[in-house]
Amino acid sequence: MVTPDNRMLLTAALQRTAAGDRVGLQTVYRLTSAKLFGVCCRILIDRGEAEDVLQEIYMTVWRKAGDYDPARASPMTWLIAIARNRAIDRVRSRPAARTLAPLEAAADVADPVPIADDLLEQAQDYARLHACLQALAAHERAALKGAFFEGSNYGELATRMSVPLGTMKSWIRRAILKLKACLAQ
Amino acid sequence: MTDAFDHTGLPEDEALAAEYALGVLSGEERAAVQARIARDSAFARLVEAWEHRLAPWAVEVESVQPPAYIWNALAARLPASTARPGVWESLPFWRIFALASTLAAACLAIFIALSPGWRSEPLVASIEGGGRRQFVATVDTARGSVVAVPAAYAGDPSRVPELWLIPGDGKPRPLGLLSGERTVTLTVPAQFAKELGRNAVLAVSLEPPGGSPTGQPTGPVIGSGPLTSL
Repeated sequence: MVTPDNRMLLTAALQRTAAGDRVGLQTVYRLTSAKLFGVCCRILIDRGEAEDVLQEIYMTVWRKAGDYDPARASPMTWLIAIARNRAIDRVRSRPAARTLAPLEAAADVADPVPIADDLLEQAQDYARLHACLQALAAHERAALKGAFFEGSNYGELATRMSVPLGTMKSWIRRAILKLKACLAQ
Repeated sequence: MTDAFDHTGLPEDEALAAEYALGVLSGEERAAVQARIARDSAFARLVEAWEHRLAPWAVEVESVQPPAYIWNALAARLPASTARPGVWESLPFWRIFALASTLAAACLAIFIALSPGWRSEPLVASIEGGGRRQFVATVDTARGSVVAVPAAYAGDPSRVPELWLIPGDGKPRPLGLLSGERTVTLTVPAQFAKELGRNAVLAVSLEPPGGSPTGQPTGPVIGSGPLTSL
């Protein structure tokens, strides 16, 4: 099912969705829902809530497909951003704070190199990002990971890594600065 | 846009855009950033740039197949298609397509019939349902094989189309899984081969990944068609 034509197929399906074509959205769903559901499950943990958010994500895609500009981003990049933002908004709307496992900088030595994911079609972009993330200090990388994959905010990250909030903020900001410089090379 | 820099030397707007894209802000801060994205296109571009920088990291997220009812629930929330009918919805297109595919099937059948080893007539079935031709199947009765070509198949993406042979007794026999994207050749199990005849029907149902767990159709039948000789 995953072929090198997927990016084109997905772009065309988004364009059909933008024109109000349900079959277009169905194609987008068929090609991307497993990945986006994976993103939701990591952030939300609760299956039922992840299922709810997955529906919201595709309703957003249905309404906003016309905003997608293939010249500016790959379709998967655009969809991942929508999925993460929806899932994180949902986590933030919960009344109670989450209790998440501590994040260990030391436990973060070897990142598994993922198997080829043709759908993302971003092998080069990923390799570059991965190299820049490996160049960060282990505690910075661990904090970024907790934010990106689990949607942890500053408060949660500080608790999970047992550091004051101010320290976490400067870790993240320094990591952002380094990452930007590294990726610009 | 402000030109303030934080103590690390990062412009304040850039830092905020990155923090938003990364996901470290509180609910109120996120709402404020979303309001700003809507009215400040320069800031929106900063956010977008950070989303693009970070998105490749999602390669590391393991895919999880969502349950089938999610798509059904979604489909129920969508308004009817507002798209102008494209070629796939156009009747003249389908008339021409039907003629062309019948001709193609006939050519294929003649090719098979003329090839060495052919001992009996080829049969074809146009598997139709929901106002569409879903698949076209050609049966080589001598070799006991079925070639199924997807036409306007548009099934539930979380389920797979399964092909069934329904002979005169009306009891479906499983022939195998089809694909909505490519031509599939199936070998008819020897015990069903004698049922392949002009009074049999081919049907397609939607089944869970891996096919029907019971050996009988468990999902909706999306199309069927009788086997006919050319």
